[in-house]
Formats: sequence, structure tokens, C-alpha cells
Amino acid sequence: MSTSLAAAPAATSRRRAPEPPKRTAAERWKRRGPLLPALLITILLTQLPLLGTLYYSLRSQNLLRPETNGFAGLSNYATVLGDEYFRAAVVNTLVLTASTVVLSMALGIAFAVLLDKKFLGRGVVRTLLITPFLVMPAAAALLWKHAMFNPLFGMLNWLLSVFGVDKIDWVSQFPMPSIVLMLTWQWTPFMMLIVLAGLQSQSTEILEAARVDGAGAWATFRRITLPHLRRFIELAILLGSIFVVQTFDPIFLITQGGPGQATTNLPFLIYQTTFRAFEVGEAAAAGVIVVVGTIVIATFALRVISSLFQEET
Amino acid sequence: MATVSYQQATRFYPGADAPAVDGLDIDIADGEFLVLVGPSGCGKSTSLRMLAGLEDVDEGTIRIGDRDVTGLAPGKRDVAMVFQSYALYPHMSVAENMGFALEMAKVPKDERIRRVREAARILDLESYLDRKPKALSGGQRQRVAMGRAIVREPQAFLMDEPLSNLDAKLRVSTRSQIAELQRRLGVTTVYVTHDQVEAMTMGDRVAVLKDGVLQQCDTPLGLYRRPANAFVAGFIGSPAMNIREFTVTDGHARIGELDVPLSRATHTQLAREDSDRVLLGFRPESVELVGPTEGYPVAVRLVEELGADTYLYGSVIGAAELNGPDIVARIAVDHTPSIGDTVHLRVRPGQEHAFSPVTGVRLE
Ligand SMILES: Nc1ncnc2c1ncn2[C@@H]1O[C@H](COP(=O)(O)OP(=O)(O)O)[C@@H](O)[C@H]1O
Ligand SMILES: [Mg+2]
Repeated sequence: MSTSLAAAPAATSRRRAPEPPKRTAAERWKRRGPLLPALLITILLTQLPLLGTLYYSLRSQNLLRPETNGFAGLSNYATVLGDEYFRAAVVNTLVLTASTVVLSMALGIAFAVLLDKKFLGRGVVRTLLITPFLVMPAAAALLWKHAMFNPLFGMLNWLLSVFGVDKIDWVSQFPMPSIVLMLTWQWTPFMMLIVLAGLQSQSTEILEAARVDGAGAWATFRRITLPHLRRFIELAILLGSIFVVQTFDPIFLITQGGPGQATTNLPFLIYQTTFRAFEVGEAAAAGVIVVVGTIVIATFALRVISSLFQEET
Repeated sequence: MATVSYQQATRFYPGADAPAVDGLDIDIADGEFLVLVGPSGCGKSTSLRMLAGLEDVDEGTIRIGDRDVTGLAPGKRDVAMVFQSYALYPHMSVAENMGFALEMAKVPKDERIRRVREAARILDLESYLDRKPKALSGGQRQRVAMGRAIVREPQAFLMDEPLSNLDAKLRVSTRSQIAELQRRLGVTTVYVTHDQVEAMTMGDRVAVLKDGVLQQCDTPLGLYRRPANAFVAGFIGSPAMNIREFTVTDGHARIGELDVPLSRATHTQLAREDSDRVLLGFRPESVELVGPTEGYPVAVRLVEELGADTYLYGSVIGAAELNGPDIVARIAVDHTPSIGDTVHLRVRPGQEHAFSPVTGVRLE
């Protein structure tokens, strides 16, 4: 083309983006200055407690025996990791979290698929289904303890009596399933909302294409909808796990970690170590271990979230 | 492969006060390429979706071959559809996308692979079979959507504006590829577009819709030469036909200084409607330049030189009826006048069209 002649001299000096203008130090601080208060508050609120916990986790610190206080190295960590109660609490936490998350996810998907259809009174049903998530955890725990689980006047027994089932003392006979049941009730709406968002972001033309291609309802769900939902489900499971690991209110209010250690999970064990045994150092060490565990999970969660935004064009 | 026929097919959307498709009657022959064309919102997509089974048929019937498919599920109709957005399955590879319908139909695996390969070869997609749709260009995605349809070897192809997401140049080349492919495969095809050039170049026959009502269904040339009403006349052809309304006196339409004779048939039809006016139209390409004593004097307001053709926009001097939008005329390149000139134009005899001003229907 004729442009090649004119373009020739320009080609030797390659075009590149202009350098950003240099700023003096004073100018830079003038820009950053107004942000400092917010930064300081954030550091104060989030990092100081963590540093405090780290500090205590390295000390022998019992509120009842102040004379033994002093630097203890990693011995708190050794004690905690060697403690069979701690290991039992880890197992309980895993069982509690895994069953709650799996059950509430299964129910959440079912309800989300239902709510994705048009039917009379959908708005009301949706609000009702979300309600458990909005009730304060402590209030929900009390509600379940008395109104649902009570062996004499609880609704669960009343419901089962219709089928001729004898009275069950839920909390003493089935402590872990009871807590899981209550938590599943509480977390199903969270799972449902995320899955529903996934369902509603699906293109209707793709679903129609599947119908024309001869896929039935089940094949469409399994081959088209589930792969689309995968990211949403992963995200919901990871976020849900992080929250459920921290469950405290229902354990404290319904079972007190019992009977025996049957429902003692990590947060409740840390609470007991601090406020029943006053072993601040050991509690701090356990807390640090939980934080590290949670950070590992959260890192995966964040990865999923960021990949969610790169998905599908 | 099969015939397709709409018989008084009607669709009411809930809440709408008029049907989106109203008593559609079309018989499509085996292997025919039929184009549904019309302005946006005229019910083209709805008609196509009724045939696919994605939209209910409220009245009338739809038949494919000798089967009445009116109430049949989309998957049972043995038709393949190409969507405007292509609607490729995003998490499946190109090969899986094309093979999905065969898999649903429980076609054995090696047969499936053979047919996907064959379609990929025809569409030049062989090197992309393992890619996901998001790693393809727009034109390649369009071909995958076509491939998904042809591997099925269905009774009919349904296509809803499959080219509207491509750039202008690719649209022209893909247009001819699709038409050629359809001739080769011989599969009955219903193709929806709002673009009348696409309709005229691709279809064996073209059905023009307006407000859910079929206006005319004919070959492209038939539509061009004998539009059934003023709407079709104005819709088909680019630039559009010049159509104006004139008063009729003594069997002549008076235009400026000249009387234009109307045929006897036209005259009797107008008399039956008790109308003393008539719609007359002529295409820009039916006009020729004549000497100063003949034809109509036209003041040139705008000249468009396209290289092969020149279009004049102007107003006829001394004809109040022709005020309003400029009339358009195509003239030979070597006689291009300048803006502001006065030229004399004449419509070639026999190339004018007359329509009833009341119903818009063509008058002979
Ligand atoms: N799902 C729907 N619900 C109600 N009205 C609709 C729906 N889809 C289309 N319509 C209406 O039906 C008419 C025809 O639509 P459509 O067939 O999509 O037109 P087009 O010819 O542009 O493809 C339009 O007036 C449109 O507003
Ligand atoms: Mg449309």
C-alpha cells in the first residue's frame, strides 16, 4: 500500500504508552494523607487483636495462677495439639461443618430450582424461605431448643407422633444430628440464594437449544445447568464452611457442648478453655490454629470467587 | 426431510391485546428455503418458535411432513434450530456441542463421532473440535451453531437471524455459504431475518410479515415485480420504492402538468371502492433520464455516487402532490448531474405500480 512509505521512518522508533508523570514525595503524601485515618482504624481493629492473640499464645497465662505467667515458647501449641479434647473438637467441627454444608446445599439446590419456576405466590414463598437466615442465631437456637426439640411439648415429637413414633429426647439422644438439623435449617437459605443467582444468570436460549436438541428435564439439569452452577456451588460451599466452622450460639445455648464432649466444636472448646479453665495462653494457641486453618480454606474461596468473574463471556 | 405447513397458526401472548402471529398460512415444499422477513416486532421469531415447539400454538395447526406437531415437545419434532446468539453450550467443546443432540438421541458413539467429523469437515471446523466456544471468533461460533444443526440430519432447519452478530463483510460471505450448503443438503429450511437483502438473496421463496399477518409469499423476483400491497412494495427493494397518493379524474391520475393514464381494471377497482384517489409507486431503478420536453422536471437536492450506480434525490417541480420526502431515482453513472440542476425524468412504461389508497392492495 502507499502508506508503507510514509510509515517507514515511524517504524524505527516504536510507539509506546506515555510514561506516567513523576510526582514529588510531598505531592504523593498529600494524596495519601486523607486515607491514613481509615487505614489506622482498620489496622487497630483487625491486626491488634490478632497480634494480641499471637502474643498470648506464646505465654503461659492462667488467670487463676498469675504467679506462673511468663514466656512459654511453643509449649501452648504442643499442649493444644496433644490434647485429646482438642482433637475430638476438630473431629466434631469437621463432622458438624461437613454434614451441615452438604445437607443445606442439597436442600438449597432443590429449593432454588423450585423458586426458579414461575408459580402463584412465588414472592411470598421466597421471603419465607429466606427468613431462617435473617433470624438472630441466638434467637434461632432458643427457638429450636424449646419449640422444636423439647421432649414434652416440642414440635418435632408432635409431628412424629402422627406417625406413631414414641417421644424422643432429641438433645440427649441425638445431640450432633440435632445441632446439624438446626444449622441446616439456618444455612439452607444462604445456599439457596447463591444457587438461585446462578440459575437466573443462565441464558434461556441455551436451555431452549437443549430442548430442541431433545434433552429432557433431567438431562438438561445434569448436562447443562449443573456445569453452569458448579462455580456457584463451590463458592457457596466454601463461604458456608467458613461460617459454619465458627458456629457457637446453638452449641452454647442448646447442648453446652455435651452430652460429655459430643457436640464440643472448636469455638466452644476455646470458649471453655478461656472462661472455664482460664487458660488464656492455650486458648490463644487454639485460636491461632483455627485461624490458620480458616485462612487455608478462605484462600481457596477467594480463588473461586475471582475465577467466577472470568468465567463465560 | 419433509414439507412444513402452517395452517391458520395463531399465537396470543398473555396480556397482549393483539395476536403476535395471526392466522399464518404457509406451505413449504420439501427441500425449500423459505425466508420469513419483516420489520422488527412483526412476529417472525414467534412464527419460527411455534414451529420449533418453543412457543404454544393457540389456534390452528403446524405440520411437518404428514405429522401434526402442534402439541409436540421441541425434542420430538426432529427439527434443528440456529439461534441468533448461537446458544452454544459454554462448558462443552465444539465436538461435544455438535454431538449433544445425537447423544440425547442415543446414537452409538462411533456413528456420532463420524457425523461430527463430517460436519466439521464441511464447515471447516476440524482444527477447532477440542476448543471451548469462548476461544472461538464470532464467525467460528456461527459455524459451530450451523454444525450443531447439520449433524442431526433433521427434517428441517430453523434459523433465527443467524448472521446478525457478524460484521458486514463476513455476513455477506456467510450468507452465500449458508444458501449453498442448504442447496447441497436439500434440507427444508425456514430462515428469519429483518434484512430484505438477505431475504432476496437467500430464499427460494420469501414470506413478508407485518404485525403478525402474512402479507405475501412469493419468489424474490415475484415480490419485486408484483408486490401484493403497498407495504410489500415499500419493504422490498433498496432504496425503497417511491409511493405517493394522487387524485383521480376521468380515469387519469393528475401529476403536475401531466395526466397519467390508469388501466381499465385499476379504474373499475377504484370505482368499486368509491375512491377518487390512488397510490402510485415506481422503483428508483425504473426511471430514465429524458430530453427537456419530455417527462417531469426534477430539482436535484442530493446526489449519491456509489461507483456502480448514482442515486438522485429531488423534488418534482410544479407537482404539489409530490411534496414531502424526496423521490429517489437511479441513473447511469455517466450522466451524473450536480446538486441544484434540473433534470427530466420519466418512469419506463409498464413499470409503475398502483395500489388502493384504502386497503393498500395492488391494482392491476
Ligand atoms: N415472551 C413474550 N411475551 C409477550 N410478548 C412478546 C413475547 N415475545 C415477543 N412478544 C411480542 O410479540 C411480537 C412479535 O415478536 P417477535 O416474534 O419476537 O418479533 P420479531 O419479528 O422481531 O422476531 C412483538 O410485538 C413482541 O413485543
Ligand atoms: Mg426476532
